Amino acid sequence: MAVVEVQGLTKTYDKKQALHNVSFSVAGGSCFGLLGPNGAGKSTTMKILTGILDGDGGTAKILGLDVQHDRDNLRRQVGYVPQEITLYDKLSAVDNLRFFGELYGVKGAELRERIAAVLEQVGLTDRAKDAVKTFSGGMKRRINIAAALLHQPKLLILDEPTVGIDPQSRNHIFNMIRDLKQQGVTIIYSTHYMEEVETLCDHLAIIDNGHVIAQGALQELLDQYGQTSIFVEAKGWAELPALAEVKSSRAVDDGYMLETDHLLETMQSLTQTALRQGVHVRKLETVRPSLETVFLTLTGTSLRD
Amino acid sequence: MLTIIRKEVLLLLKEKGTFFWLFLLPILFIVMFASVFGNIGGQDITIQYLDQDDTQASHQFLDAIKELKGFTLESDNDLTLDEQVQQIKDGKQSSLLVIPSGFEKELQASAAPANIELYRDATADDAVAPVQAVLQNIANGYREGKISGTLQGLGKTDVEIQQILTPPIAVKEVKENASKADMVSQVVPGYTVMFVFFIIISMVRSFIKEKESGMLARLRSTPLKPLSYLMGTWVSFILVALIQCGVLLAFGHFVYDLQLGDVLAVSLIVLCLSICGTGIGLALSMLVKSENQGVAFTQILTMGGAVVGGLWFPYDFLPRSAQVVGLFTPQYWAQHGFQDVMIRGAHLTDVWPTLLVLIGFGVLGLLVALARYRKFMLTASN
Repeated sequence: MAVVEVQGLTKTYDKKQALHNVSFSVAGGSCFGLLGPNGAGKSTTMKILTGILDGDGGTAKILGLDVQHDRDNLRRQVGYVPQEITLYDKLSAVDNLRFFGELYGVKGAELRERIAAVLEQVGLTDRAKDAVKTFSGGMKRRINIAAALLHQPKLLILDEPTVGIDPQSRNHIFNMIRDLKQQGVTIIYSTHYMEEVETLCDHLAIIDNGHVIAQGALQELLDQYGQTSIFVEAKGWAELPALAEVKSSRAVDDGYMLETDHLLETMQSLTQTALRQGVHVRKLETVRPSLETVFLTLTGTSLRD
Repeated sequence: MLTIIRKEVLLLLKEKGTFFWLFLLPILFIVMFASVFGNIGGQDITIQYLDQDDTQASHQFLDAIKELKGFTLESDNDLTLDEQVQQIKDGKQSSLLVIPSGFEKELQASAAPANIELYRDATADDAVAPVQAVLQNIANGYREGKISGTLQGLGKTDVEIQQILTPPIAVKEVKENASKADMVSQVVPGYTVMFVFFIIISMVRSFIKEKESGMLARLRSTPLKPLSYLMGTWVSFILVALIQCGVLLAFGHFVYDLQLGDVLAVSLIVLCLSICGTGIGLALSMLVKSENQGVAFTQILTMGGAVVGGLWFPYDFLPRSAQVVGLFTPQYWAQHGFQDVMIRGAHLTDVWPTLLVLIGFGVLGLLVALARYRKFMLTASN
């Protein structure tokens, strides 16, 4: 059953249209990735889903409730982690969590228990009473997420939660998201890091310039739009020899990326040509399809650009 | 709303600058100005003189000045007349009283008036005016003495002479104040009122920071009602302003013996003043686009209002045009109300216009803030 249903969502800022007829659905208990470059419309979509912004057209429903008309009910069931770190630097982690918990209606002994639980979840129990300003960027991000978990939401919306953090905090956040998913929490994860979507999400929508350009299960998209490739790096090839099995090729770093539907035949041709010409091959490896190639196939530009 | 109030108070307590701006700085101003201006009345005016006559008559004349309260005579025998006049020209001295040679002879001759000379700095009217007045007074005394002598010569009795010399109009001074009116009763309420309005800067800073940091958008994703956020923030600043006023007035009372008068009336003025200052702060926070803009407007409101509202010097000292402008400022009404209670012994029933005006400003601020609030929240969400 779909927990989130978005149909034909549009939004315009002044004269710039940020969302064009955006539609997607998120199954309950899944981790859904919203992948796209900066300025693609991910944050706008998130803000409409959380009731921060009103859409100009279309509908968005969460748990069967309209985000525009049933805001009060929905806000108690949705947790939102914004891209910015929205904490009070001068207050301690506990004071910040108490503040957000009370806003969500959690009080007294229950709030104390929940604060202890989320601090445990984000691995910052020992820093509970320290002022947030003394935390590293990664620790602040973890408290930022903890603040959205106090009311035990059914849907957790995370907008670029790992921007600018250390690997340790990133791993902690990934493990936390996996745990939440196991507990049955539905997650929408917005990012421009395709590796994160590949690691965490089972379904995704790719958004570019306010349009959803592809969506579905991760493996389906990789199968549909991804291209199996071979990477070769060799000393002595100023120009790559023409091979019948190769659909296209492009220079990448010190070597070449060859797209082909015939892996074995292409590798055989490459090996034979190199041996015949006495070329020293440094690297010869297959590259599995990635969301990078999916995005490239769909838009003609790299997600990293 | 209680959550917002608690958060805001916690943040203010953690902010070291809060104590400086809200408490230490106003106390420093009160101490400084009360010390400087509080001693003006007790300081003697020094009259620099040069006695070229050096006779019994000139000594008598100088003794007459010495006997006056608030005046001290000083002479520098090392300097010549020309050198002392040069000092006036150089701005190092404001006046010089010269009793020229032959003063006694001229006085005894009584054919023409005996001359004394007062050299003065043309730009120092305020400093010289009391000296001129005292000299004129002594000259009048001599004149009365001369008339009295003539009348005695004509065979008039002392009683008749007294009747003739008694001025037809006597000015009788009646002090109507319940308590003494001094610089403390001007400075303490004055700076209390002035610094309440500085809280606007903290309010603007708080709202703009919450907007720009994304906190306001984050709060919109929670069940918190937008109006609860606005009112919660307002109430927390009202509480801070109440504490600020309480601390400053208590400081004035315990350190400078400021008479508070009717405590209930003063308390209600403090409450209305707090609502007024923070109400204006609320409106400004919703209107300005940046913190700098907010600080600039606050300075204009605070300093401008302090001048024309009679917070720095008594309202009656102001030019008529400034007094008219002052009537439209909350600072004037607050100061007027405080002084009515503290100096003139007014009670609650006497200061209701002050309370009404201050509440009016506060409510007006709230209405402006409410009208702008939606737009403010929208700009915070994008």
